[in-house]
Amino acid sequence: MSPTQQAHEAHGDDHGHHGSRFIAHHYDDAQHQFDSGKLGIWLFLAQEVLFFSALFVAYVLYRSHHPEIYSYAHKWLQVKFGAINTAVLIFSSLTAAWAVRAAQLAQPKRLILCLATTILCACAFLGIKYIEYSHKYHESILFGRYFDPCVSPGGVDLLTKKNECKGVKSTIDWDAKAEKAKSGCFNVDKIDQDPHEPGLQADCTVIESVGATKRTIGDKCAEETIDETEGSPPIAKKFPCWRPAYQPAVCPDLVDGPGDQTEGTRREMGYASHHQVGVMVEYGDEEERGDDVKIAATCTDAPKPAAVAAAAAHDADKAKVLGQKAIAPIHHMTTHEEHELESMGPPPEHTSMFFTIYFAMTGLHGIHVLFGIGVFTWLLIRALKGHFTPDYFGPVDYAALYWHIVDLIWIFLFPLLYLIH
Amino acid sequence: MSAIEHHDDEHGLSHVASVKVLVGTGGTLLALTLVTVLATKLDFGANINLGIAMLIAVVKATLVILFFMHLKYDKLFHTVVFVSAILAACLFVGFTLMDSSQYQQTNIWHPDNPPTAPYGPRPTSG
Repeated sequence: MSPTQQAHEAHGDDHGHHGSRFIAHHYDDAQHQFDSGKLGIWLFLAQEVLFFSALFVAYVLYRSHHPEIYSYAHKWLQVKFGAINTAVLIFSSLTAAWAVRAAQLAQPKRLILCLATTILCACAFLGIKYIEYSHKYHESILFGRYFDPCVSPGGVDLLTKKNECKGVKSTIDWDAKAEKAKSGCFNVDKIDQDPHEPGLQADCTVIESVGATKRTIGDKCAEETIDETEGSPPIAKKFPCWRPAYQPAVCPDLVDGPGDQTEGTRREMGYASHHQVGVMVEYGDEEERGDDVKIAATCTDAPKPAAVAAAAAHDADKAKVLGQKAIAPIHHMTTHEEHELESMGPPPEHTSMFFTIYFAMTGLHGIHVLFGIGVFTWLLIRALKGHFTPDYFGPVDYAALYWHIVDLIWIFLFPLLYLIH
Repeated sequence: MSAIEHHDDEHGLSHVASVKVLVGTGGTLLALTLVTVLATKLDFGANINLGIAMLIAVVKATLVILFFMHLKYDKLFHTVVFVSAILAACLFVGFTLMDSSQYQQTNIWHPDNPPTAPYGPRPTSG
């Protein structure tokens, strides 16, 4: 008689000499059955590693070719959610491992508690994933041709192809062949955000009211007052539209806007999206110049140093006319500034590939979690029926091993997708 | 027989992990998660930051495999099976990266503006 059978009988679970009734007769004994199952699950896990490795190959290959896409696109993902999900999965892995221990030591209450906690954690993981996915769905930050983002990671509105964004965007009729908007524009509120934007198309006419104009870029706010034109009727002005992110754009000179007429301060930054060039133009006194006026210029194309420099020189002249000190363009921005500007600009070409890979990897992982919930629910039902005993706990052990591999894969997915530097 | 049962490690069908090991592993994993998030706040350059993140991930994975998955106490054959799968996965990634510089640029075909030779259409002579 094996020690486990001995233990069994001591617990009064009377199955005679055969141990647990779940030990199939074609096995020599409980150990034989357990070992067979265990080998099977390890082979399955090996297959899972190979299965996921194909996606990791896609990830690594694409990242090595297009690092700029990864460093831009990951800013759409919230580290907070990824980190919470990592912690939730690690905790559920702990409870799964504890469930095995409880089954081995014939602690049915603890087993049920551990299994239930594991299921709850798995549901919490999927719940958080749902929040993330639905946000991306609403903002059209999706895979392949469904990638048509409404807002850049820095919170700046982007011109979209299909204009399926929630909120106040007005209609844009996009001519894909000519790569420009046929008609339509954002509403005035949106346009007001940034009339100085280079890299825009000046083919939309909107009426701008006179008075205080509030500009908001990301969470930074600046107010400009147009004094000189006060009292005069509203001026019809040509205002630019955003180009869609993924279309090559030429950077024209800075578009003149109401800011030029003010005595106040203005600070402009130009950049080329692949962060080769950054130009910052500032004029006005240090005291007068608020730090909060920050305008991101967007050029999706290769840097156009000539255009940006010309605009800078133009502004410097203007500053001289106003009798203010012109600060020379700064050609090297700090990493932080660069990142901030980058996140306000439109995404680089083929950014949709990041989300194709993101959804493929997290989606496949999510399906594994879903399957895990099913398995653990089945285990919970069996545990409630008292099926698991020290000589028959194989299913708990195998499911826990599966659950650990799900955790293991997330341990790699989290830094690779959310924590890109 | 009953004497064997007192050995926590030996009785039953397989190794029983102690609470200390389980909680210790879980705690270390959570701590390492925090470390890897905080490490991104520091700027060592893209490659070193990636290296740090991957190193932490590998340490975490090793902890999960050794203690949660009991591989440390399991049969050697299971280790052989699993480690060979991981090695194969590394081989896939490594081999793909090895020749990735051999790829050609993506050419988006446009009828009005066909790419030039050698990608373009062959000249139709005769």
